Amino acid sequence: MEKFSYIGKDMKRIDTTHKATGEALFAADLTLPRMLVGKILRSPHAHARIVAIDTAKAEKLPGVKAIVTANDTCGDKWGVFKYTQDQQFLPTEKVRYVGEEVAGVAAVDEDTALEALSLINVTYEVLPAVFTIEEALAPGAPQLHDVYPNNINIHVHIDVGDVEKGFAKSHLVREDTFTAPEDSYFQGEPYAVAAQFDHAGNLEIWMPNAGPHLKAKPLSNVLKIPLNKVRVRKITIGGAFGGRSEISPADVICAFLAKKAQRPVKIVYTREENTVCTRQAHSMIAKIKTGVDREGKVVARDITCHMDGGAYSSTGPIATSVPFLCMEQAYRMENVRYNGYRVLTNKPIRGMFRTHGRAFACGVDIQLDMFGEALGIDPLTMRLRNARQIGDTTPTKSYVASCGLTETIEKTGKKSQWKEKFGKLPPFHGIGIGCNSVQTGFPMGIRGGSQAFIKLNEDGGVTVITGIVDNGQGNDHMIVQIVAEELGLTPDDVQLITADTEVTPSDPGSYSMCETFIGGNAVRLAAQDVKKKLFRIAATEFGVGEEELSAKNHKIFVTKDPQQSMSIAKVVRMALTRNESISGEGSYWPQVDWKREWVKNPYGQLSETFSFGTVICEVKVDPETGQVEVLEVTASQDVGYALNPKVIEGQFEGGVAMGGQGGMLTEYLQWYEGRVLTPTQLGYLVPLAIDMPKINDIIVETIDPKGPYGAKEAGMSVAMSAAQAYCGAISNAVGVYFHEYPITPDKILKAIEEKKKKNRKG
Amino acid sequence: MNQMKKTAITLNVNNEIHEVMVYPNRTLLEVLRDDLHLTGTKESCGEGVCGSCTVLINGTPVRSCLTLAVAAQSKEITTIEGLSVGEKLHPVQEAFVNHHAIQCGFCTPGVILTAYALLKENPNPTEVEIRHAISGNICRCTGYAKMVEAIKSLAEEGR
Repeated sequence: MEKFSYIGKDMKRIDTTHKATGEALFAADLTLPRMLVGKILRSPHAHARIVAIDTAKAEKLPGVKAIVTANDTCGDKWGVFKYTQDQQFLPTEKVRYVGEEVAGVAAVDEDTALEALSLINVTYEVLPAVFTIEEALAPGAPQLHDVYPNNINIHVHIDVGDVEKGFAKSHLVREDTFTAPEDSYFQGEPYAVAAQFDHAGNLEIWMPNAGPHLKAKPLSNVLKIPLNKVRVRKITIGGAFGGRSEISPADVICAFLAKKAQRPVKIVYTREENTVCTRQAHSMIAKIKTGVDREGKVVARDITCHMDGGAYSSTGPIATSVPFLCMEQAYRMENVRYNGYRVLTNKPIRGMFRTHGRAFACGVDIQLDMFGEALGIDPLTMRLRNARQIGDTTPTKSYVASCGLTETIEKTGKKSQWKEKFGKLPPFHGIGIGCNSVQTGFPMGIRGGSQAFIKLNEDGGVTVITGIVDNGQGNDHMIVQIVAEELGLTPDDVQLITADTEVTPSDPGSYSMCETFIGGNAVRLAAQDVKKKLFRIAATEFGVGEEELSAKNHKIFVTKDPQQSMSIAKVVRMALTRNESISGEGSYWPQVDWKREWVKNPYGQLSETFSFGTVICEVKVDPETGQVEVLEVTASQDVGYALNPKVIEGQFEGGVAMGGQGGMLTEYLQWYEGRVLTPTQLGYLVPLAIDMPKINDIIVETIDPKGPYGAKEAGMSVAMSAAQAYCGAISNAVGVYFHEYPITPDKILKAIEEKKKKNRKG
Repeated sequence: MNQMKKTAITLNVNNEIHEVMVYPNRTLLEVLRDDLHLTGTKESCGEGVCGSCTVLINGTPVRSCLTLAVAAQSKEITTIEGLSVGEKLHPVQEAFVNHHAIQCGFCTPGVILTAYALLKENPNPTEVEIRHAISGNICRCTGYAKMVEAIKSLAEEGR
């Protein structure tokens, strides 16, 4: 008998038929009786004091049903952490970026709502603003907040071993600075929120969200209603990629409008609003000093990183740490110092992003190529010599319980014919390698664990109740697979109620790459709880021990004598008549160090386990135009165990597109004094089908000791290592190491030109 | 408030005749979504770049966000809702589901309609032809590989 019926199999996702027919409803698709159109008035200034807001004219416009300004809120400040509570949903004193929310209107139709916005008169006193990290840090610079001197929002300081001694011991030491401007999520679905209040004061609200509970708490705080009156409902989500985890001012404005009007209100963002007024990825300046020994092994690293955080904290402490943490996990380093500064500017707010810190990741990785060249060691061998191994402890004290990094390097190298190609390719052809590691969750306070319930029907079917979110990656199917497997049911027998704060218990959300590991474990435990209860009843019927039973094909049977069997439906009916509870409950709380804190104590077990991955990329550069043609990409990752391999391949391929093809070649936001000049797909170039190279997917499985069936993170690592591999490949093709990303044609042409000049001089 | 006058238009959508009163500046996308409740057609950019609002007019993929509703009269409009027959998915829809070409699903209706039109015109497209055909549809999740596989599988079946 095969070990598993569904786990590890290529299965059609349960949610994709609805998506193929257009039946799946996204937030913007919702219509409720008497629904109004909501619109938001936004600041035209990067930094200004709000002197007065006059809504009198707008209120008189026929068809306007509600207007909210800061007067309607209590001026509360929101923050992900106690020490980062700095953002008002509607500011009372100052606006800090172009696009910040100032007022909201609900009206009978869009035209009326837009006209009402134009009738709201806001008197501003414009203040001097800062638009770059350098400007923000300059002496005498305008300050964004009172509580962050010198506009330094967060400082993460990590110091392990003896860095100075390490440099003194090193055979080679070098220091480079790497930079990258802001990139953007560009989820397919623009943000949208719909809300309604009933007369008992219950709020129902729908929006794309990576964690409904993360949305419910701030809504409860600001609306001054208990959590059981905040019903964040499940809705199909059009992508998140690290965004959509936090409360959005639009959620609060929509709820206030719905309350005031006592009618449903829907706000649908334009593409521009989605780019400017949700979150962006940080721009970054990473100064990296590294020392290696004669074998190319890293002896010491000292990294100072400045990240432009925009106007508010958002997930600042996490965002300032994760770029460093990914690389400390991927590569061994004993002596290391990190100073990460998140600096505030009068630009839109920055959050967590799937390819988090491309300047950082590419910088750490490309330095290995530079050292390799100086030492006569090829880049792949440099990775092997520095690769993290199972049983290691990272510098910040996380134990690594499973690690297949070496295997991913070797397999990717073989598949891409690294040995045959590196150093042997024709001019302007290049090959590059990148390795990365990503967390599978991290300490998240009371929301760090997940709980799940399972209810049985009299015909043996079940309903699973869990807070797990599906942003589009297939988490809903993962739940069905696990429950069907554990209970011997088919996927059709399993219904889901997920991500609904009225019903589903606490869960971290689809954030920090933890849903499979934490939510999946909780669901599995709930299913095992049900199984145990069913077996207890069946065991008395068969006169055997519970441990002698199995469940498969809708039946419970004696494992050694499958003829002795009983349908699950029958066991359920027996339970009902005996008044025995057979509902299941499971909860999973990851073994991380809860004393670890991003700023105050950045040491201890960060995540229960980590993923590891390698990407190799081969390119051809046109020296006349600077255009890069990507010939082939091989992506691999240690995912622990592939629950649904095709889903994982989809994550790899999407990761290559976002992190490599887009992140390293075309994607960046352009600015003029705090205004985004490229907020839509016309100016911000997301990869198209014709741009994408052939991608080889290699799934490496190390069977994590704690992951459900051994599974761990699978969505982020490839996106990051792809960026690094693209950087290495282009550098290899041109013969110049690139320090500024993305590597656009102008930079390539400039590099070729400078190299020519240098050669002439030489 | 809209100062324009509404006009009555007749639209043939998925072989159903709809009479609607619209302002002349209303796009086909708005009328499909707001008046006819055919929300399978999505708006992602609103300026004709992303292809999420793709519908077929007389079999040809068009951006419904750049098409005025009044200009779509006396033509055959097909939206994603018009592709499946009863419970039965169209083979293109089936292929997208089976080949894992769908992740978040927001761009999916537009890509499926584009692929449907491609296969009608060219039942045996090469990979390059497939990639060209769907390059007017932006997908942020899949990296397109599985979409291309899905469409290719239909081309091969046609052989």
